[in-house]
Amino acid sequence: MKKFLIAVSALTMLGGAAISSAQASPSEDLKQFRAYFFKKFPGVKLQDYANGIYALDATRRFEWEAMEEFPPYEDGVEVGKKLFNKYDLGSCFQKGGIGIKQYYPYWDKKTQKVRTLEQDIMACLKKKGVDTKKAKIGWKKGKLAAISAYMAYTSRGKPTSVTIDPSKASLNAYNKGKIFFYAKRGQLNMACADCHVYNAGMLIRGNLLSPALGHTTHFPVWRRKWAKKTAAKKGKSGPLDGFGTIHRRYGGCNKQVRAKPFKAQSETYRDLEYFHTYMSNGIKLNGPSVRQ
Amino acid sequence: MKKIAVLFAAAVLTLGACAAPSGPVHNENDALSAITAAEHETKRAAKAGFEWRDTGKLIKKAKAALKKGDYDTAVKLANKAKRQSSHALEQAQLAKNAGPHFN
Repeated sequence: MKKFLIAVSALTMLGGAAISSAQASPSEDLKQFRAYFFKKFPGVKLQDYANGIYALDATRRFEWEAMEEFPPYEDGVEVGKKLFNKYDLGSCFQKGGIGIKQYYPYWDKKTQKVRTLEQDIMACLKKKGVDTKKAKIGWKKGKLAAISAYMAYTSRGKPTSVTIDPSKASLNAYNKGKIFFYAKRGQLNMACADCHVYNAGMLIRGNLLSPALGHTTHFPVWRRKWAKKTAAKKGKSGPLDGFGTIHRRYGGCNKQVRAKPFKAQSETYRDLEYFHTYMSNGIKLNGPSVRQ
Repeated sequence: MKKIAVLFAAAVLTLGACAAPSGPVHNENDALSAITAAEHETKRAAKAGFEWRDTGKLIKKAKAALKKGDYDTAVKLANKAKRQSSHALEQAQLAKNAGPHFN
């Protein structure tokens, strides 16, 4: 009986701790999140987290820096710029769409939902009368990712500046994103945090697990894996092959833990992006970037 | 010698019994109800946002086995799918208290 009571009180305490951390304010979350990484990787400076695994592994960083000298995404960014100008997308955004990526995602008071850069690009294309189906502009890769990559490129060096609106609905969306990040899912019973917080810096087969801090600064990314896959599918390589948005990556991560992925730009992933990006507030954008 | 012969005969009979193919255990109704149950549980898991990646594929395979008249396989696959979705629902329940544990 005594053992049972001890177990019940321990569970209550643990539950209480989980509930209290689930209800912590965004700024408290940010503080705890960073403190954890600073303790886990002493010596790695805040701004260096923008480089993902290359902030942790000197050998891989050497290879990555060599690759960044002749970046494989360069032609893709040019394609993105051409499309941006072709469809006059700058007219839909503040500051002509130049150097604004750091404010995304944001809380849209009108729709009471989280709004992403890709959503605003797509809305602008539709406003301009572009038949996105005919123009083959999808949500996760290709042309849309290239436009997003160009816009990210114009924001390089600007610190992530996501504001969590203090309204109840916005905080609810933020908390949903946070719960998604920490909740275990899929057949492998793993949360985003299992790989990218608690096991960041560890090897999973030949791959090094990246820290979640700084993740969002380098998206859209150019992944070698995606470039290889697309080229193999088409039988030839193209400048947009390796591009993917952060929602493409979320879907990939979910599949890897054998959970059914959500659609790109679903409310679930947008809420996740809201929480995830806020955790990197203050870290300078360096997208698009090459990743493994 | 007689004892050895008896033992040998017993062994042959036992092995023969083991190797003999057993007939199908389940009928069409069993397969149909197993698939319905799996679909119901999977819909609940999807609604909770915790459906597993391969559960839908298992149900599809179960339906294909049903079509072929392989009811045992259909039941086996449908039950596996249902189990997966039950686990997914448990995850959804636990997610309500999900949060960081930094210590």
